[in-house]
Amino acid sequence: MQRGNYPPNTAASPPLHHPVPQHPVPIPVMHSPPPLQASSAYGSTYAPTPAMGHPAYGLLNDPTAQMAFQVGGRATEVAGQYVEQNLGKYLQISALKHYFNVSNGYVLQKLGLVLFPWRHRPWSRSGSQRTGASGQMEGYFLPPREDINSPDMYIPVMAFVTYILLSTLLYGLAGRFNPEQLGYTASFAFTIVILEIIIIKIGCYLLNINNDSQLLDLVAYSGYKFVGIIVTLTITTLGSKWLEYLVFGYTFNANAFFLLRSLKYVLLPDTTADNPRSTTYAVNRTQRNRRTQFLFLYSYLVQLIFMWSLSSGFSFRSAAA
Amino acid sequence: MFFGLMPLIKMTILMINAIAILSEDRFLARIGWSTATPAEPQTFGMQQQIVANESIKAKTMNLISATRTLMRIPLIGINSLLIIYELLLG
Repeated sequence: MQRGNYPPNTAASPPLHHPVPQHPVPIPVMHSPPPLQASSAYGSTYAPTPAMGHPAYGLLNDPTAQMAFQVGGRATEVAGQYVEQNLGKYLQISALKHYFNVSNGYVLQKLGLVLFPWRHRPWSRSGSQRTGASGQMEGYFLPPREDINSPDMYIPVMAFVTYILLSTLLYGLAGRFNPEQLGYTASFAFTIVILEIIIIKIGCYLLNINNDSQLLDLVAYSGYKFVGIIVTLTITTLGSKWLEYLVFGYTFNANAFFLLRSLKYVLLPDTTADNPRSTTYAVNRTQRNRRTQFLFLYSYLVQLIFMWSLSSGFSFRSAAA
Repeated sequence: MFFGLMPLIKMTILMINAIAILSEDRFLARIGWSTATPAEPQTFGMQQQIVANESIKAKTMNLISATRTLMRIPLIGINSLLIIYELLLG
């Protein structure tokens, strides 16, 4: 964006600049369609490139160099935009702030919701309208402070750290504390979260769910299960085997139900108007069934495997009892 | 049973290797999973739109062929890095 007013034929370009090609290279425009553009616009992106590249071949005097330099400058400009867009897409620093915009009341309510999701009624995230940077109205989701259904990152991050510390503490209570345990547990928990993201991303790709919800939403949702695991691990110290299984079953069911209901609005976007970011494509019936099945499998089976391995993958259980 | 980050990385690399060595005409064509239509640059946008509307099988085929074309050369470097790592520290 800010490279638009950059003079394209300055001889002394800053040293950090991308190397400028000396002859017209139309490739970068082909490589980088803006990710958020509709796929029908792909054809029109290609059209201007030959028109810009070809006259430069015909002229063999000074304007050729000028032309080439301009095309090169444009290529770097496009490449710079591409990098900026992708950085903005994958590393949303400002978007992270949105996830930590929580209040005490929200955290308490959300913890209650994760542990007791049965009676909660509207699960859809509420949004509102504001005037965007381009002057037109755009929809956005309310931050967690104002909307209980919005995913946050505070609870997952805190639960993640607490899980690592708590399981190491349990090792200590069993008399087998080792500083390495901290690293092992952190690595293990990270692996579980990354595996979950990979599974849900592959599922989204295969089922053709092109949601515009960010990766961070999914990371947040996959972190809520640490709350249930912490409760289960705390019960472990009581030493009663049956109570432990009971609590694990309850927290697992609560978490799965919570995920099922919450992810429904992330993965299966409804086309009604009350969703501010509603997608306009029509989903046929079989595809919808498949998506529901995937959602069910993900939030029950996959979560069962992961939660079980997270809460019982350690051998402190028998030693602590 | 600790399953840390390194096994995850190794697993991912092995899976990508496994996809990348699938032979197009000896294996994929035989079970009908070959992407027989060569994509021309001009019709690429249109073709992508068609593929995007298709089934899980089409998406899987598309994923396999994309992995095969995209990862073939980077895999050489990644695999040799992993071999060196395993020789030194494994």
